[in-house]
Amino acid sequence: MDSMTIMMITQGIHGLAYGMLLFLVASGFTLIFGMMGILNIAHASFFMLAAYVGFQVIQWSGSFWLALIVAPIVITVVGIVMERVMLRRLRKFKLGKAAVLFELMLTVGVMVCIEEAVKNLWGTDPQIVNVPALLGGLLRYQGMQYPIYRMFIIVLSCAILLLLGLVLYKTRLGNFVRAAVQDAEMTGALGVNVPLVFSFVFGLGTWLAGVAGVAAAPMLTVFPGLANQMMLDSFIVVALGGFGSLLGAFVISMLLGELTAFGIQFLPGYSTIILFGFMVLVLTFRPLGLFGERE
Amino acid sequence: MKRNMRGWLIWIPMIGALAIAPQVLGAFEITIVLGMAIFALFSISLNLLLSFAGLLSFGHAMFFAAGAYGTVFALEYIQGVPLLPAVLIGALSAAFLALALSPLLVRASGHTFAMLTMAFSQIMYAIVMKYSTITGGNDGISGFPIPALGIPGIGDIDMTMERNFYYAAITILGISAWVMWFFTRTPFGSIMISMRDNPERVAYLGFNVSISKAVVLVVSAWFAGVAGSVYALFQNMVSVDGVLGPMSSFTPLINCFIGGLGTFIGPVFGTGIGTMLTELMSAHPEQAQLVFSFVLILLVLFLPGGVMTLYWKVAAKWMVLQNRIQSAFLKGNHG
Repeated sequence: MDSMTIMMITQGIHGLAYGMLLFLVASGFTLIFGMMGILNIAHASFFMLAAYVGFQVIQWSGSFWLALIVAPIVITVVGIVMERVMLRRLRKFKLGKAAVLFELMLTVGVMVCIEEAVKNLWGTDPQIVNVPALLGGLLRYQGMQYPIYRMFIIVLSCAILLLLGLVLYKTRLGNFVRAAVQDAEMTGALGVNVPLVFSFVFGLGTWLAGVAGVAAAPMLTVFPGLANQMMLDSFIVVALGGFGSLLGAFVISMLLGELTAFGIQFLPGYSTIILFGFMVLVLTFRPLGLFGERE
Repeated sequence: MKRNMRGWLIWIPMIGALAIAPQVLGAFEITIVLGMAIFALFSISLNLLLSFAGLLSFGHAMFFAAGAYGTVFALEYIQGVPLLPAVLIGALSAAFLALALSPLLVRASGHTFAMLTMAFSQIMYAIVMKYSTITGGNDGISGFPIPALGIPGIGDIDMTMERNFYYAAITILGISAWVMWFFTRTPFGSIMISMRDNPERVAYLGFNVSISKAVVLVVSAWFAGVAGSVYALFQNMVSVDGVLGPMSSFTPLINCFIGGLGTFIGPVFGTGIGTMLTELMSAHPEQAQLVFSFVLILLVLFLPGGVMTLYWKVAAKWMVLQNRIQSAFLKGNHG
């Protein structure tokens, strides 16, 4: 194969790997927003925190696999504590219209807090996480070579996507979650413990961000600015895909991953402008997003 | 009338304190006071949108940046431009930016408005970085000339002297804050507040909600531009991370929430508390932001009205105490 095709395919898989990670983060983001109406600005910070916790676990135990299991659980606990202690308390104030402002500001506070805590605990230098020995090396196929680790990210994300789909569409709990995304008040009236479902979704969302964080650590290196890019990208995904729409989040994540990968190649510097410009147009003329259905 | 008197009771001591500050404080403290005043104006302009129009903006820094870059470009490229027109050009460029974006922004509210403003400020960041040959990018533009302030009948005042610059800057900032305060008290200010509470009803009463929202946006942007312009002059430099960085839109928002929503003067207190915190923590600058974010979280959770509610609570207690003392005296007289 000629070098152009090889480059195209390599960039395409790069984009796929990033798009998958992005989907893991953005799906939690969009579920939480669709269900609770909370735009959790700190969501990408959980992603970064997971990368750091994973890094620390690897430092202590030397096992990447242990980190992949432990760190997301730690992040889930942090997320559920945030939902139970902070957001729930805010709901009790009955702030009416202003509640949106206070919730947004609370999550901004948590975002700044996580970023600064990370800087204080681990310093501002980038930390390098090694690829586990099992997944090191390159995959060779007809003169092409590709890092196995990125392939692993794609496979892992697909597995989690499948699991998420099974939980949301095949279980009773999933029915409750989807019903609450449609209409939380009505679901509560039918006898479902909606606050508990809220906690479950918040925990699930942060767990997804946590898995993405640990998986991304060897690929993107761990540094305090890790959350910024992810936050902006997941904003774009949620705005374009439609608030609360998983299918939309998936399609836009893939597109965005590819656009980022090829944008670096063909339009350096302009891809941000194009993406945010597109986001502005969608938000103004179709505020529900391209795949959103709900009012 | 009584309400106006109480308003002046806040303004007069503040003006007095700012006027005598250079006589009492050293050069270092003056720069802190001036920096605080600049960010107080920036926060007030954001609060105009937040408390009076009910719109939370995640990209207000773009107007601040437009003001800063407008003034700096004027000083760089227009030969012999006087000081006040340069500041005016900064404010105008911020207002024009707001006017250009208003057709898209007035349709939105709540989360959509927050995300739209964030998108616009990201676009602006990308543009400034893309054309870094003109804007200086990360390194910024510095060392531009600062012209003297010419006042007819008095002559030129040298702005490179710190004390002179302080007085000029404080006057500009003070007048801007006063104009905004006046703006909230005009009949239009009342329409603005009723738009926040019930836009449908305001439209039904015959007011044009979209155009009124655009006016509020332009006014808010204009004064954010003034703050940015004075900031650029004060620092004698402008760089993309200084005026458009990730925290530059969040810091004034946090100031507003610390001070208290729904009041005009709240953001000033918020900025004061923020600056004081930073200065108190100056021995450990890396922890200052952490403490700042803790204060924000605790305030939102336990005192959602900000420190202004604390003042009201104390004032209410004081009234009760006064009444008790009075009634005790009255009893004494009778007995």
